[in-house]
Amino acid sequence: MATMQILTQRDRLASSSARTALLILRGRAFIVLVLLVLTFSALTPLFFTGNNFAILSKHVALSAILAIGMTFAILTGGIDLSVGSVAGLSGIAAGYVIANDHGGTIPAILAAIAVAVVVGLLNGFLIVRAGVAPFIATLGTLYMARGVALLSSSGRTFPNLASKSEAFAIVGQGSLLHVPVPVCIMLLLYAIATFIASRTPLGRHIYAVGGNERAARLAGIQVSRVKVFTYLASAFCAAIVGIIIASQLDAAHPATGESFELNAIAAVVLGGTSLSGGRGTITGSLLGAFVIGVLADGLVMLGVSEFWQMVIKGAVIVLAVAIDQFQVRLQARLLPFLLRSNPEAGT
Amino acid sequence: MRRMAHTLVASMACASALALFGCRREDYSRPLAFIIVPSQDNPFFKAEADAAAQRAQVLGYRTRVEAHDDDAYRQDNLIDSAIAENAAILLLDNAGADSSISAVRRATKAGLPVFLIDRAIEADGIARAQIIADNSQGATAVAKIFMNAMGGEGEYAELLGRESDTNAQIRTRGFHSILDRVPKLQMVEAQSANWSQSEAFQKTETILQSHPHLKGIIAGNDTMALGAAAAAIGAGRKDLIIVGFDGSPDAIAAIQRGELKATALQPAVLIARLAVDEANHFRRTGSTGEPERQIIPCDLVDASNASEFRNFEHISSSANLASKR
Repeated sequence: MATMQILTQRDRLASSSARTALLILRGRAFIVLVLLVLTFSALTPLFFTGNNFAILSKHVALSAILAIGMTFAILTGGIDLSVGSVAGLSGIAAGYVIANDHGGTIPAILAAIAVAVVVGLLNGFLIVRAGVAPFIATLGTLYMARGVALLSSSGRTFPNLASKSEAFAIVGQGSLLHVPVPVCIMLLLYAIATFIASRTPLGRHIYAVGGNERAARLAGIQVSRVKVFTYLASAFCAAIVGIIIASQLDAAHPATGESFELNAIAAVVLGGTSLSGGRGTITGSLLGAFVIGVLADGLVMLGVSEFWQMVIKGAVIVLAVAIDQFQVRLQARLLPFLLRSNPEAGT
Repeated sequence: MRRMAHTLVASMACASALALFGCRREDYSRPLAFIIVPSQDNPFFKAEADAAAQRAQVLGYRTRVEAHDDDAYRQDNLIDSAIAENAAILLLDNAGADSSISAVRRATKAGLPVFLIDRAIEADGIARAQIIADNSQGATAVAKIFMNAMGGEGEYAELLGRESDTNAQIRTRGFHSILDRVPKLQMVEAQSANWSQSEAFQKTETILQSHPHLKGIIAGNDTMALGAAAAAIGAGRKDLIIVGFDGSPDAIAAIQRGELKATALQPAVLIARLAVDEANHFRRTGSTGEPERQIIPCDLVDASNASEFRNFEHISSSANLASKR
């Protein structure tokens, strides 16, 4: 009886420390973010100001918005490499409409989204119908979208968009109650995406497809539709980013968005989404995007050279994935302890 | 199975239709002028390639324009295909001063004369001509304008090009040969923006946060200068003194609007035409009639003379060239 008592007490201790360890690991993106903000605030007094956070969030918004669609694609076990090119192509579409006086801001935005939707549908078709692996299919559309963007502008920029259509400047340059418009768009899209992921059948289906596609199919989920939705969502996000950049720079350039997909993937991975699908959260990706953005801007403010910035960014990404793997293993090992103290804690 | 066959046939039909659409019919009896530039999505290289192609066509060549994307390996492959297609002349804006030497040598050995434009290589006697813009002179000229506009004092930031690029290094050296001699001019940040407009935009926004008293920005090319200008306008800092380099049409328009102070125009069009003319001369006489290394000065463009330039050339330069030949 006495030995039993001691054992359970030790178990309880083990299970509570296991729980704390897991909690810390799960919240690692947030903890890293807080640490980064504290470090930079200590090192440069101008970092911790409202104005700087507004600008920082505006920079983060670009990769954060791309990360939404990317999270959906990765959750189903896919990936979308075409987002950077689609952003460039959408920007060119918007620039073309405005520069040639085809109706101004609203048609420009619609044209940008329409072009992206076409690429998104093509991605979906290639992956679902033609059975091309997502990595290859979207690699192909990456090149195609970039090529079409260059063809349609013959390599030139569409400059001075605001002088043709003043409203277009608001998307990237305006602000709503001191919050830059791109940040408002980002928050709105995140609210919608989080709702879809956690509150709708579609969201549950996305997780199910990524967790076990065969099981999902057998359970009657329309896997094809779910997948096409994720690539459409991703292309839509890319279009928004393309419009924002064109508006910020007041010019549409066909090479815009090169290697943006890598930043988006990095944000998703930092946010704890597994590249093999089925596990991860939308808000995690937002945190991930902020970690990368704070790091980039903070290092620029400190005057750190570009070369070191690349080394540090790479190290942070690799470290995050290493911790992710560690968490998965730790979780498996600690499961017995967690179960012993509380039968319902298995999930 | 049948569906797969259908898909296969359909995609092959699409691919061949695209391929047909992509080519133009050519007259194969004409000699081929092969033109390789770094990229075709940059207005500078585009103007350069267009000028070379246009001049070559006038002189009776058929032309092919390719881009190596600053990739020495891709450049190697392109030069191989130029040799294989029995090109008569090769105009090359190369992918690296050291890494391009062997490729140029191979072409020369195969009997394909190479005329380098815009960027030189670190070797003499291999290429028939190396015609480049004087980046160093252009950079010092821009830096002098910048120094005067700053009134010889205050904080400034520098946006550097891709740090592996020879021209990025020559330009920053040229800037600093002037600016470092002025003790009251203080460089508070030097960041690479990789020649990119959106990167320069974000970096400038951030730099303006950490250095509110920033008075000017000197950028390694016009694309970055335009990105910096967009950020300055967004931050309500229209007073920021910004200069660039290249002389792109967008930058010249920005100078006319007062958003940029000055730029150094690289006479890309002039250089491309000169190279084609010399190549043509070489084919007929066995000599270009000029020394191998030719350095063409850059033109300084500011608000006073911005209207005299268009698309990388001084409007009167075509007339100059005609009278020279």
